Amino acid sequence: MWNVIYSMVQRKERPEDFEDKRIAQVDNGFFEKFGSLFREQAEMAQTREQVEKEQVAEAAAQLVPKEDDDEEPETPPASVDSETSSSHSQIDENEFENDFIATAFNIDELYTEILYIILHNVGCDVNLEVPQNSLFSYAQDAFRVPHNKHLQLLDLAEKKEDPELIINVEVIEAKDLRPKDSNGNSDPFVTLYLASNTSHRYNTSVKPTTLNPVWEEHFALPITDKSIDDTLCLEVWDFDPAETVKEKLGKLFDVKGVKGMRKLVKEIAVTAATGQHDNELIGRAKIPLNTIPASGMTMWYTLDKKNKITRQGVLKVRICFSSGKNNQVAAQEHRHIRRIILVHELDVSKPAAYWWCENFGPEANQLLTQHIAQSGLSPTEVALCSYSVYAGIHQSHPLSFCIFSKLLEKLLKPLQTEMILEEDMKLFWEATRKLLPSCFAVIRRIRKKNANEKTVMKQVIEVLKIFNYVMALEPTNIDLFPQNLYPWITFHGDDPNCDIAGTLQDAISKGAGDWLNYLIENNKATAETALARLQNLIQLLQLVRSDLQKAIEFYDKLFIEHVNFQYAKSLYIFYQAKISTLCEPEVRQICKNLKTLDYSGYDFGNGPVNTDPTVDPLAEGTSLFDLYLTIQRFVTSGQDICPSDYNGFHIKNFHQWFHAGVAQWLDIAVYKALQRIEKAIELDQLVHIDTSVKYSSSAVDTLTIFYQVNTFWQQLNWPNVESCYTFIAKIIDDICRCCIFYAEKMASKVDGMGDIENIYEKKFEVTNEWCLAINNIDYVRETLEPFTNGLGMEEILKKILELKSPVDAQRCRDTLNMVISNAIDTVRNAIIELLQTVVQKMAPSMKRLLIEGAELCNQDNNSIDRLMSYVDRNLETMHRELNKENFNRTLEIVWDMLSQTLDEIIQTNLENRRPPSFFANLQKTLKLMLGAYKDPTDCTSCDSLKRTEQILRINGLETSDLIHEVHLELAKKFDELPESPYGEISFRCKFDGDVLQVEVINARDLAAMDSSGASDSFVRIHLLPEHKFSSIDKPKTKTHNKTLFPLYDETFTINLSPEQREIKDGLVLLSVKDKDMLGYNNQYIGEAFLRFKDIPITSESLSNLPQVKKWLGRPTSFEMDTIKALEHRLGDKQAKEFLKKFKQRLAS
Amino acid sequence: MRSATKNPLLKVVILGDGGVGKSCLMNRFVSNEFDEHSFHTIGVEFLNKDLEIDGQTYTLQIWDTAGQERFKTLRTPFYRGSDICMLTYAIDDKASFKNLEIWRTEFSYYADLKDNNAIPFIVVGNKSDVSSEHREVSMLEMETWCNENHITSCIETSAKNASNVQEAFRMAVQHWIRLESRADKNQTIVNDTVNLSKNQSDVKTSCCGGSGDETN
Repeated sequence: MWNVIYSMVQRKERPEDFEDKRIAQVDNGFFEKFGSLFREQAEMAQTREQVEKEQVAEAAAQLVPKEDDDEEPETPPASVDSETSSSHSQIDENEFENDFIATAFNIDELYTEILYIILHNVGCDVNLEVPQNSLFSYAQDAFRVPHNKHLQLLDLAEKKEDPELIINVEVIEAKDLRPKDSNGNSDPFVTLYLASNTSHRYNTSVKPTTLNPVWEEHFALPITDKSIDDTLCLEVWDFDPAETVKEKLGKLFDVKGVKGMRKLVKEIAVTAATGQHDNELIGRAKIPLNTIPASGMTMWYTLDKKNKITRQGVLKVRICFSSGKNNQVAAQEHRHIRRIILVHELDVSKPAAYWWCENFGPEANQLLTQHIAQSGLSPTEVALCSYSVYAGIHQSHPLSFCIFSKLLEKLLKPLQTEMILEEDMKLFWEATRKLLPSCFAVIRRIRKKNANEKTVMKQVIEVLKIFNYVMALEPTNIDLFPQNLYPWITFHGDDPNCDIAGTLQDAISKGAGDWLNYLIENNKATAETALARLQNLIQLLQLVRSDLQKAIEFYDKLFIEHVNFQYAKSLYIFYQAKISTLCEPEVRQICKNLKTLDYSGYDFGNGPVNTDPTVDPLAEGTSLFDLYLTIQRFVTSGQDICPSDYNGFHIKNFHQWFHAGVAQWLDIAVYKALQRIEKAIELDQLVHIDTSVKYSSSAVDTLTIFYQVNTFWQQLNWPNVESCYTFIAKIIDDICRCCIFYAEKMASKVDGMGDIENIYEKKFEVTNEWCLAINNIDYVRETLEPFTNGLGMEEILKKILELKSPVDAQRCRDTLNMVISNAIDTVRNAIIELLQTVVQKMAPSMKRLLIEGAELCNQDNNSIDRLMSYVDRNLETMHRELNKENFNRTLEIVWDMLSQTLDEIIQTNLENRRPPSFFANLQKTLKLMLGAYKDPTDCTSCDSLKRTEQILRINGLETSDLIHEVHLELAKKFDELPESPYGEISFRCKFDGDVLQVEVINARDLAAMDSSGASDSFVRIHLLPEHKFSSIDKPKTKTHNKTLFPLYDETFTINLSPEQREIKDGLVLLSVKDKDMLGYNNQYIGEAFLRFKDIPITSESLSNLPQVKKWLGRPTSFEMDTIKALEHRLGDKQAKEFLKKFKQRLAS
Repeated sequence: MRSATKNPLLKVVILGDGGVGKSCLMNRFVSNEFDEHSFHTIGVEFLNKDLEIDGQTYTLQIWDTAGQERFKTLRTPFYRGSDICMLTYAIDDKASFKNLEIWRTEFSYYADLKDNNAIPFIVVGNKSDVSSEHREVSMLEMETWCNENHITSCIETSAKNASNVQEAFRMAVQHWIRLESRADKNQTIVNDTVNLSKNQSDVKTSCCGGSGDETN
């Protein structure tokens, strides 16, 4: 709820951001570093992640290039790098040399062959491309043949017989043939022949009832005429089977359309007429042999027919040259030539490693093409040759992987269908074995940054394609991964190892491991302190995380797409184990050795004092938490990457390593929070942050700080329920401390404000700042409860209920509630304390003004006005600024204070024997004030003030009125008597006009006053207040001797003046006395009062009225406000006399 | 709920081995209840209780901690800022007595005490209701240990039959008051730091002024 409010406030208050930052600066953004401010939580998190990623990438980029250094000769033998390791390249070279030496025997022969090929170039393109002499010189260069030898060998070549050439034709398919049969289809077949030899024809099979036949049939036509002026003719025919007229008629039902009908009729007519059937030509294509390039071609040819303009369909044919050479020999020859040319090409153009992708120069291209053509090598054979040669060369000069993947694509099908000789098969696997180490090297060095991202990606894709093809070929019984080349392979069975997926897994782990080790080696902690070690681990983890991120973003898809391998998962599994072993002991040890934060209680005014400068518990704790969060993020990502394996991971319980550190974090959080609160208050200008709210910036800031503590708690995301419960209790307690701290700091900030001193007076005025301070504290207090809810208390309690028992859950709940309510109360007390401070500051001014008012009331009303305006001003400020609750609290305290002040004034002035008028004036002043401010309906908590007012009233009375007050009080008291030891009196009483009639009937159970155990009683009637009835006699009954049950039976008629009759609080006092023998000192037995207002007004006879019975009472003590007031009037004779008599009336 | 009064707040932490009866002590003190089969405390428990001494009411905030080792990390954060530490053992359990030393050290460490005399420790031997044949720690042993460790307050209690429980807490508070008043007298070095309550800050900031030797 308060989040919403807060964010609302935040939105309104932009400058707040500024201050917020400044508060954050106190501790370099302590919380911000961990958490993200909720304002732009998501946004910021993203940016931060981004930044982090970039930083890490940068760091990684800085680190990794160095890794390339280890590819230089100084590579330690332990980390054998397949393609560059000395041992390996030696093998390669040997192999290569052997090969080369073997070739050397035939080098002349081979060269002669090349020259021969150049001499007999075939194909249409010969003259368009490289002139013959260029080819000669190119060959000479490539084969490194001295000129004289060249001439000698050229001569030899020229003398050789012309080659026997063959033209290979593959009739592949035709499309859109014109229908020749009545059913709308044809039964096509192809006839092919050379124009020079029409009699030698070749036919394909017949494809029945189709217009789009597929043949895929091969033909070899020997070329007799070497001038190649010949033309290849291809004719597509509709086969017409031998059918009788009758059979043809049977087809009537299959006829399609008018045209079909016409055809059938024509056919029938022909058949009927000639008795013979005939194939019908659909179309014909003529291909001059000189249009065919040496490398052969595949082409669609349009079929045409004499006299027909319309297209008869198209035919697809593949044509190439070949010779009658032995394939094995030709292939071997081709491999040699290809290798020599490639070596030469590489030598000349010097392409970068992994760069060359079969981009031969024109001469080389032509030589190879001619050799293929003239040797009649099939594409598969050529691909195999290339593959083998390239794999060999690849070891000394890495070539682009795309060559291999392309070649494998070509070879896949032939290899799978086992159309390859065993010998070639062996050749293939040899080459593959040579190729694979560099492929795995790519995987292992996937993190290399020597080329741009795109190149690496492309390389990886090609390598993955290669794996995919090789896996599809299911190598068996081949030791593809000899141990000397793959020392890092974990699987070492007895069988030859050809497990590509397994090796891939190992390569990934090895690559990641090498990388990680490299990072660890080259990124050692700068110092041996825990802090440095922690920061080191954090950096390492961030690098790992960024690596994983890259794996997910870029490589995972590729691996899955190409080889169905979960790269990221495999990587994660490796990393999690590695990180566990790396971090756990370190973390545990650091946690164990954590020093407590050095600030006692919450007294941190000067910050923690470092006794040992090498240890900074604050930074250590912070870094530890940072590491915790980093691992947490790593672990969380594991849930996504490998959901099935996640539960088995050791790292899953990483929080246990940190167990001993949590307390420290909580401490740090509080410490930081307190620090920030202090700063927030320091920055607070004590102005409304907005017109709609009654608090200032520090309240909002403090709220933010609480929110940050909450964020910290959320981030901690501690999995253990029991711990969570306890930590929550601790956090609530801490937040309470923060509140109190805030309250105290706030109070001391406003302390001194509003004190005004000039030559005339020294006074205190309530200022807006004071009110804001109070509101701020209240605002912060209000957030306590929502804050506790935000900690997820309910969830925790629910889990305790599940895990433990309802009793335990209830106990925990009780404790938490207790802590919370305790916290709220404590803060509330702080507010009250502050309010009291304010009121106390107002007290002296009020006191002075009250006294002035009392002294001068009658002479000069100015004083009262000043008091009024002072109180008015201050209360007005508070009313305007404080919320209702606090304003009412303030009022209560003000009244409380007022009554205390008044009490003091009364006491002092009584002692100074001030006249009653003083007190009367004081009371008047008070009444005026109360009238103005006190809500008369809300008088629940002003008992003390009421009493004070009463005392004031009493003291303000003239003595005679005061005496009457005593009697009124006694009358009230006696009426409440449940019984009396002095007896009971019965009487009747009435008013008739101004005449009062009293009939004293009897008394019962009178107290025995005489030693005889009886009394000699009489009753005297007084009318009170005495001074108003001074004109009237005080009648009395006769004395009834020695009885406790006297029957008086006397009636008195007293005439009153109209004024006397109208006295409102007039009293009739029946005073029962014991007659003293001497009549000198009559003793009091008891008294009864009757109020004028209780006396019936009637003209009826007294005897008709009911008897009134009253217990006799006596005053019990001097402990009456009125008596006390009288006692203070020491100089007053009337008072003195009354008191003297009163003393006699006291119950013994 | 505590009334909104200005009683001084005192934070009391009860420490001791699991099963010596810390929770029982607290419950007996606060609500005068006793449950023979009470559960292990989970982490911490918290209760409030007002205690009047010489006309002044003190509000005790009592943190009852779990004694089991596995709760160590959970309870230690609560030590900081304590005013009184109640070290508890059971008189029928020698080991729990022996461990007092560990508890005292743990408390001093995590409460970050500069001076052990800054905060009143009170040693409470609970379960005084057990018959003498089951007693493993004598009063004398307790007193000796306290003397050695400069702890002046010690008492045997029984949460079960409510003997001396009120007295134990009362004793602790009185001890605190003594320390406080002494601190007041010694308050020559005035620290201008703000503290939880004025009463507490006095103790903490000035205890180092010396005169912690009266306990001897």
